[in-house]
Amino acid sequence: MNHLEKFRRSLIHIIFGILLFENFLFIAAWWFSSQKARPSLIMLSTVMLVAILIGLIAADFIAKLIIEPIHAIWQAILHISPSEHGYPEPRVDKIQVGRELVTSLLGQIYQFGEVTNKIAAIAQEERKDLSRNFIAQSLPLPLFALDAAENIKFANQAAASYIGIETAKLIDKNIYMVMDMSFPSSNTFDTWLKEAKLGKATSSNSWERVRLNVRDNHPERLFDLAAYYNRDNPDQIETILTLFDHTKMYSQDDQAISFVALSVHELRTPLTLLRGYIEVFEEELSDKVDPELKDFMDKMSSQAEQLMAYVNNILNVARIDNDQLELRLQEASWATVLKSVVEALSLQAKVRGKTLHCRIATDLPNVGIDRLSISEVVNNLVDNAIKYSGTSKVINIEAHLTNEGLIETTVQDFGLGISTSILPNLFTKFYRDHRNRAQVGGNGLGLYLSKAIITAHGGNLWVRSKEGQGSTFGFTLVPYNQLAEQAKKDGSEDLVRGAHGWIKNHSLYRR
Amino acid sequence: MEENQPTQSPSHSILCIEDEQFIGELYARALGKAGYQVTVIADGVKALEAAQTNTYDIILLDLMIPNLTGIEILRSLRNPARVPPIRAKIIIITNLEQREEVRADIEKQADGYLVKAEMTPSELVKFIQRLPQN
Repeated sequence: MNHLEKFRRSLIHIIFGILLFENFLFIAAWWFSSQKARPSLIMLSTVMLVAILIGLIAADFIAKLIIEPIHAIWQAILHISPSEHGYPEPRVDKIQVGRELVTSLLGQIYQFGEVTNKIAAIAQEERKDLSRNFIAQSLPLPLFALDAAENIKFANQAAASYIGIETAKLIDKNIYMVMDMSFPSSNTFDTWLKEAKLGKATSSNSWERVRLNVRDNHPERLFDLAAYYNRDNPDQIETILTLFDHTKMYSQDDQAISFVALSVHELRTPLTLLRGYIEVFEEELSDKVDPELKDFMDKMSSQAEQLMAYVNNILNVARIDNDQLELRLQEASWATVLKSVVEALSLQAKVRGKTLHCRIATDLPNVGIDRLSISEVVNNLVDNAIKYSGTSKVINIEAHLTNEGLIETTVQDFGLGISTSILPNLFTKFYRDHRNRAQVGGNGLGLYLSKAIITAHGGNLWVRSKEGQGSTFGFTLVPYNQLAEQAKKDGSEDLVRGAHGWIKNHSLYRR
Repeated sequence: MEENQPTQSPSHSILCIEDEQFIGELYARALGKAGYQVTVIADGVKALEAAQTNTYDIILLDLMIPNLTGIEILRSLRNPARVPPIRAKIIIITNLEQREEVRADIEKQADGYLVKAEMTPSELVKFIQRLPQN
């Protein structure tokens, strides 16, 4: 209506302008043509005033004549438009000019209206009945539509065959009765739906690794689930569920992981006991036994600790290979972390007759690290140094700031060294210097794992070695401030990384 | 009242829900030496019954135990509808590896999550002694 009013005003302005201009022309002609009998100024201004007044009234009247048919047509269009409810029917009898034209045009419009109404009605009918909806029905993904009481109002063919129940038997059944779903965490479909119903008008969510708890020989189903909730849907359908089947992929993953997880559990239980009993011995016997037995006890203890570290290595390599290693980087003082890790390793060094020399620069900025993972890296590097240090007695551990502002930590031994031919393969899985296999233990996972962890921290792991003179392994870490800034730029609040680089907008965990 | 005493006070009682007998013994020994009263229960159902008496200050909860899983016990004890709420601090002790979202979910409900193989009994004692006071 605003546009029409605007149009009317513009019309009035134009018409009034024309009339006024004509009046001025007329008055000017009058003034100049009769020089002798010029009208008085009062008369002239009176005539001008009357002319303006008449001009205004005339402009309004003419505009009205023009507007009326347009108004009627406008009204007719709004009247039949489905989005504008309660608009009055246009009245033709008020139209003074062009009534026939308008009447005939309106007839046409209403005819059009009837046709579109029919189409809309059919569409409405079809929309209500999803079962006749070609797209919903032929979608190759299982699709469920639920009403406010979480009863199934529609399930497509794919849904029926996926859960192994006929469509007809699904309708009006409660979704929870039909589908017994397990979720990997307490963030489940029903908790989401309850929350959605309390809060927003619409909401959507998705879940990974949902398991359909099966009955009666029906094969196991593992899938991702996506759901959409809309409280005000006029068709009584509030919630839509779609399932993305990943049974094959997830069950394979689960088997791979669960084999490792199971082995790890089986290894850890005796390890817990060994460490427990060793501690009891240490507490009770340390000052009673002769030095040789005390030394054996230390060795036992150190071996148990090493075994524990290996178990963690196995677990983490499995995670990296499954793309499941995820690190949570937190601010920490590198000196504090490094010192405590080195201290924990001193027993291991001692029983092998080595001394750990630790020198840490005092000017180090705080680092962004996943403490446990970085401890594993230092553990692996020092463990390697102990193993490969031959007859030399000292292992140097140093931390300093590089010219690029990174925190560099080096672990140096003066032992066997590594030949240049095998240096490039050092960080691959299961690689070990074959010539030394007989002399040293190890599962060849440590460096592969360390490389992945350091890379995920945004740092670099390197090695320098000369055969016969020992090796230096070093890695860089990024100052926390720099990481935090980068995270801010990337728009992610948390410093979470995967083994193969950044993971954005992801959960917070170290997997 | 007893509840208001600091948890690290040696007289406090600990329920250790652990089905591996030797581990239970080791923990009971170390905690007992540190002055705690320790009860070890290996069965899930019996353990939940004992925990519900609300007489413990600290509950050590293994996740893999017979008859009821540790997660089920944790959920039941931490159920917000429970009146009165269980006042004990609940520490998960496990050697099981979980998918991290599961672990985080468990950690949220518990007061601590420890991997048994990664600590000695005396380290467990230290952890318990360092628990914040109520």
